[in-house]
Amino acid sequence: MNYMPGTASLIEDIDKKHLVLLRDGRTLIGILRSIDQFANLVLHQTVERIHVGKKFGDIPRGIFVVRGENVVLLGEVDLDKECDQVLQRVSIEEILEEQRTEQQAKQESERLKLQAVKERGLSIPKADTLDDF
Amino acid sequence: MGDSEHPEKTGESVPDASWPENGDQWSDKGEEEDDDECGLLQEMVEEDEEIDLYNEETFGLDEATSGDNPDADPLDLLLLCSDNSSTPPPPQRSPSPRSSHSPSRPGSRVWPHTPTGRSQRGRAGRGQLFDDPAVVKTVEGRPSLKWMIAPLKSSRPPAASLLQDQAIVGVIDGSRHGRVPPVSPNFLSPMRPFSTSRGRRGLPFVGSFNQRCHYQAQKNPMVPCSPFRPQRLFSPQQQYNQPGGFLSPSRPPPLSIPMPDTHKLMHLQFGTDSPRPAPFYSPSSNTMQGFRAPGPVAQFHPQHERLLSQRHQRPHRCGQRPVSWDPYSQIMSDKEKEWIIRLQMIQLQSENPRLDDYYYQECYQRMEAKLAEEEFLGDRLKKEPPKLTTPYVNKTLSYIPVVHIEGSLGQVAVSTCFSPRRAIDAVHANTPDEHKYTRQQRLEVLSTIEKLYIVLLEVEEADKMKATVSDKDEERQLVQNIKRKVEHLYNELRCTNLLESGEEFLSCLIISKGKRMLARLLPFLSHDESLHILGVVTKHLPVLMSRDTDEALPVMYPSLRAVIDRLAFNQLIRILKEFTAALPDSKDTRLTLACQNKFGLSLLYALLSQGERILSSDLPMEPSTGDFEIWTDTVFHVARQLSQTILVEPLLLPSNLLTLFCRYLDKPTVHQLKNNLESATGFLAVAS
Repeated sequence: MNYMPGTASLIEDIDKKHLVLLRDGRTLIGILRSIDQFANLVLHQTVERIHVGKKFGDIPRGIFVVRGENVVLLGEVDLDKECDQVLQRVSIEEILEEQRTEQQAKQESERLKLQAVKERGLSIPKADTLDDF
Repeated sequence: MGDSEHPEKTGESVPDASWPENGDQWSDKGEEEDDDECGLLQEMVEEDEEIDLYNEETFGLDEATSGDNPDADPLDLLLLCSDNSSTPPPPQRSPSPRSSHSPSRPGSRVWPHTPTGRSQRGRAGRGQLFDDPAVVKTVEGRPSLKWMIAPLKSSRPPAASLLQDQAIVGVIDGSRHGRVPPVSPNFLSPMRPFSTSRGRRGLPFVGSFNQRCHYQAQKNPMVPCSPFRPQRLFSPQQQYNQPGGFLSPSRPPPLSIPMPDTHKLMHLQFGTDSPRPAPFYSPSSNTMQGFRAPGPVAQFHPQHERLLSQRHQRPHRCGQRPVSWDPYSQIMSDKEKEWIIRLQMIQLQSENPRLDDYYYQECYQRMEAKLAEEEFLGDRLKKEPPKLTTPYVNKTLSYIPVVHIEGSLGQVAVSTCFSPRRAIDAVHANTPDEHKYTRQQRLEVLSTIEKLYIVLLEVEEADKMKATVSDKDEERQLVQNIKRKVEHLYNELRCTNLLESGEEFLSCLIISKGKRMLARLLPFLSHDESLHILGVVTKHLPVLMSRDTDEALPVMYPSLRAVIDRLAFNQLIRILKEFTAALPDSKDTRLTLACQNKFGLSLLYALLSQGERILSSDLPMEPSTGDFEIWTDTVFHVARQLSQTILVEPLLLPSNLLTLFCRYLDKPTVHQLKNNLESATGFLAVAS
C-alpha cells in the first residue's frame, strides 16, 4: 500500500469520521470533508467532546474549519470500537460541571503549591503562558 | 410490516396513512408533503418501538422499570413534530431525563395521540428535524428551559456563561427531550431510499441487528450511538463487489433507523457479512484514478508506476460514488484532490533522491533487502512495504534558459522555478564578439570609474561645504581633503590604461562616463594637470570624435573652455599646433576632422578665440620664438579650411572670431568664411 506525501495522505481520509485534537486542548469529532495543502480541515457534523475522568459529554457544533497549524493530531474513528467505549457518556451540563470542578481543583492545588513555594522564598515561572512554540 | 410480528401493538392510533402499505409512496412524496414527512418520522419511531419490543420479548431484558410513564419515550419524535404551543405533559416528561437513555420500552404500547393533529405536526416536521440539531433545539427548547430545570435532582443548572453557548443550550434542551446529541438528521434522507426498497423486514435481519443492539445495551445503556455509522461503508478495507444500485432482493435488506433516536442504538449498521449497498468506491483508489505525474519533470519510480496503474484499473469496475448515502460526499472534487497531490509531489521532486532524501531511501532499501531475504528463505509471497509515492526525477531535462518567441524583440516575461528568466547581460550593443578582450577591459575601466565617482562626489560635497564652513581650521582640513582626493582621482584615471603613457586618460575618455567624470574633475585640478588633460584630448581628438557614439564629448566642452580661457599664449600655441599637424595614419589633420564634429569645431573656436583675446588684450607678451608665426599660420590654415568645408554647428561660436579673421585675411576669404559660419550656425557672425 503506497502512501502519499504530506497532506495528500489526508485525501484517503475524506468523508470519514475523524477525531481531531487541537492545540488548545479541544477534541473535535467530525466527518472530514475537505483539506488543502496546509492541512486545513473542514469538518462536518462536528461534535466537541469534553472528557473529564471517565466521563465525557458532547456538544454539537456543526461545521468546523480548522486551520492546519492548530491541529495536534487527527485520526480516523473506528466506528466499531467507538460503540464499545469504556467511557461513560453524560449530559452536557454534567460534563461541564465536572470540568469546572476539575479546573477548580487544579487551580486550588496550583495556588497552594505557589503559596508553599513563595513561603520558602522560591519562585516558579508560569509555564502556561508559554503557549506557542 | 411489523404488524404481523407484533400483534399486541394495538394502540396504533396514528392518523397517518398506514405505514407499511404506503412505504413506496414516501420517497416519492416525502420531499413535498409535510404530512408524509411526519408520517415517516412516526414510522421510524414505530420501528424503534418494535425493535425494542422484540428485544424484550426475545431476550427478556428490560432495563427500565418505567411502567409509570408509558408514553415517555415515544414522545421524543412526536413532540418535535408537535406544535410549540402544546405543552408537553409534565408528568410524563419528568422522569424522562432519567429514563431517557434506557433503550427499552414500557410494556403497554399506547401510541400517543397528540392533540395537535397532522397539520400541526407537519408544520414542525421534516424541515426542523433535518436541520442542525443545535439550531433546532435551541429554538424549540429555549422557552421551556426553566421548567426543565426544576425536576432535575442531581445536576445543577448550568452556569450563565454556558447558557450563552448556543450549542450547549441546544444540547441541554435536547437531553430534556430525551435525545442524546449529536444527532445527524441528515442521515435520514439517505436512508429513505433504503427503507423503501427493503420491503418487508425480515426477521433474521432484525435479529442480527438486534443482537448487536442488545450487546450494546448490555454494556452501557447510555452508550453513544455514533450517527456516523454509515460511514463504515466508505472505509476502503471492506470489500465491495456489487456495482451500483441497491441491494439485491434476495438478501435481507438493511434496516434503516431514524437517527434522532440515537439513544436507542438506532443507526444504520451493517455486520461484516451483510451486503453493502453497492455504489462504493475507494477514495484512495479513485484518487489515483485520474492521476498523472505533475508536470513533465516528474517521473515515477517504476515500482510506483506499476502500483499506480494497478490502482487505476481497479476502480473502473465501480460505479458512481454513493451520493445517495452521504449527500455531502462530493464536496471535494477529484480535481481538487489531484491538485493537492500534485502540490505535494512537486515539493518532493528531486534529481538526486539519494542526496535529498537519504534517510528514506536508505530505510526503504534496507526494508526491501530484508524482505527479499525473507522471501528467499521463507519462500512466501512478497509483501510490498508501504512506500511513499514520490516522483523521483531520473533525468534532467534540458534547461531552456529563455523562452524566446521568434520575431520578438525581448524576452518573454514568464519564469518558473525550472526556467527562470535570464539575467540581462551587461554587454555593449555595438561591440562585436571577437573583441572580447576589449570588452573586458572596457568593463574594468567602467567599474573603476564608477568607484571613483564616489570619491568625486565627496570632493564636490566638500567643496560645497567649504563655502559654508566658518572655522578656518575646518576649512583648511576640507581643502586638504579635497586636494588629496583629487590627486587620487587624477592618478587613478591616468593609470587606468595599462599601455604606454602616451595613452593616458584615453581609456576613460573613451567611455562616456569617464568623459563626464573628467569634466567634473577638471575644475578641481591644478592648471598644469588640466592643461595636460586638454593636451590629451586634443591629441586624441580624432579617436575620441570617431568613437563618441553617445555624443558625450560636448559634456567636456564647458570645463575645457574654462581651461582654455586660462591658457597662456605659448600653451595655446602648443595646443593649436596639434590641430594643423598631420595625423600619423591619415592625410587629414585634426582640423579637417574637427570641422565635421561639433565638439572639435567648438574646441577649435574656443582656442582661436582665446588666442584672439590674448592678442587683442594689451597684456605684455613674453617674447616667444616663433609662436606668433605659428599663430598666423594656424589662422590661415583654419580660415582656409573653414571656408572650404561645410561646417557643423558648433556648441558655441565665439564672438571675436570674425574679428580675428578680418585681421589676418583678405576680404573675399573673410566673406566666404562668414557665409560659411553663418550658414552653419544660422546666426550672424557679428564682428565684435
